[in-house]
Amino acid sequence: MRIAFLTPRYSEQATIGGAETLIKQLALRAVAAGHEVSLLTTCAANHFTWANELPSGSSHSAGMTVHRFAVDENRDLEAFIRAQNRISAGGPVSEEDERDWMNNNVNSAALYDHLRRDGDQYDALVMGPYLFSLIFNAARIHPHKTLLVPCLHDEPFAKLKLMQQLFGAVAGFLFNTEPEMQLAQRLFGVPADKSTLVGMGMADFKVDASAFARRSGLQVPYIIYAGRREPLKGTPLLLDYLQAFRQRTGRDVRLVLTGSGPIDPPDELWPFITDLGFVSEQEKQEAMAGALAFVHPSLNESLGIVLLEAWLAGTPGLVHAGSAVLRWQCRSSGGGLWFRHYPDFEEMLKRLMDNPDLRQQMGAAGRAYVLRAYNQNAVDERLFSALEKVAALTGNSRR
Amino acid sequence: MSTSQTDAKPLFQIHAPGYDVEKLVQEIEATVTRKMAAGEYDDAAVARAERTNLANMQNHDEFLAFYINCLRESAFVDISDFEIRERRRGLAPLLVRLKKTIWGLLKFYTYRLWSQQNQVNGLLVTAVDNLDQKYRAKIEALEKRIAELEARTHRES
Repeated sequence: MRIAFLTPRYSEQATIGGAETLIKQLALRAVAAGHEVSLLTTCAANHFTWANELPSGSSHSAGMTVHRFAVDENRDLEAFIRAQNRISAGGPVSEEDERDWMNNNVNSAALYDHLRRDGDQYDALVMGPYLFSLIFNAARIHPHKTLLVPCLHDEPFAKLKLMQQLFGAVAGFLFNTEPEMQLAQRLFGVPADKSTLVGMGMADFKVDASAFARRSGLQVPYIIYAGRREPLKGTPLLLDYLQAFRQRTGRDVRLVLTGSGPIDPPDELWPFITDLGFVSEQEKQEAMAGALAFVHPSLNESLGIVLLEAWLAGTPGLVHAGSAVLRWQCRSSGGGLWFRHYPDFEEMLKRLMDNPDLRQQMGAAGRAYVLRAYNQNAVDERLFSALEKVAALTGNSRR
Repeated sequence: MSTSQTDAKPLFQIHAPGYDVEKLVQEIEATVTRKMAAGEYDDAAVARAERTNLANMQNHDEFLAFYINCLRESAFVDISDFEIRERRRGLAPLLVRLKKTIWGLLKFYTYRLWSQQNQVNGLLVTAVDNLDQKYRAKIEALEKRIAELEARTHRES
């Protein structure tokens, strides 16, 4: 099949968002399976500015043809931010606000032209996440052969009236988790026969759980968080909880962070935080393997990829119960606990600290879950089954 | 397309043999509820820790009552109850001494301000607590009234 994957940004390195990484991974799997893959993306590298930093045009990367298109530079940023703030507040939103938000979001007329002109050459189009007008507009050019990877969250943007048009138009959906699929059914009435649970394939690894402690000299118990640090990801909550835990219980538990973004802990907590920043995959995995628990305090997840990685490292998860997805991942696997508030967090962390067997069993359960449900072959099977059905519907399969 | 997984085999359900996290979470939650009722978490540190979690818990009435109890613990600030420290290692002893001297000079002038702030904090917590109790009682009365009316309608029909 000739498949085009479309995502707002693309990088060969791991410097893009989770949803973009997911699309990239799916594209690479399609390459590995022998499909002819094009990756359509913008010239932007920075998700704050969306400046056209990379040259437009075609190139080859990891077995794919990457086509980059310029982001439209006529955005009215003030109107966008004004509308975005109104929507984020969660109150009623006018149609004008919705239009302002969509029109001044990330768009690329050049990419839309390409799809209109050359879209027929593709048997299937896979694109996401839903939150960008780039996807909203591109998906409606050839909706009958478009599979949306929405990465949907229960958030005000998902409740915009315009989103009904997107979710009502496309041929099918690739979801990451059951709660995400159920949310799409609830919000948009997405029929079950258009929905496929795919997720992201995780490559197995085995690392030495004591390697990080040896290398860093960190000889006391620690919890770990990996990923972007920002309020939406819950990192301020994690810092506040750790500070309260240390203060109330008198136990010396440290925090190890990997990833990017500023943190602003209380002064007295600074000495007990090890901020590794961007590290190699192996270093991250070793740090995960030696941790008491991987703490995921985010509420806005469509798939906790880092939680899956922590489970592969044999480390249990401790997640915020407010995230239906993370709670579901823990419940499905038996690999993690979920806290509603600080008192839960304190009890659960104490329980994990005091009970190595519990940690070991939960870590093993999580690992078994990832190897079964998120191994590359299982994900490939689900992905290609959905792609072939779209291609068959349009009568375009050339495999 | 017919790629739905909703009726398919339970791909994502594989609890560890003999291990049930659902049960463990329930057991921990029951312990927490008991300890909360005993006031074990009524602590200023907990109030501070929960500041970013409040928005997530706004639909949990009991949590608000608990939070107000924690807040009561942190409403009154002791202006001498903090350590003066310095993160820059080289000049730390000198800078700490300088800060302590400055603080010693300022303390006399800021004491009145702090004491007024403490009064305001205490009054605000009391007001929020009273409001919470008032509306809680109103809602309970309304729920009781609705239940009575529903029962009566049910009987009449």
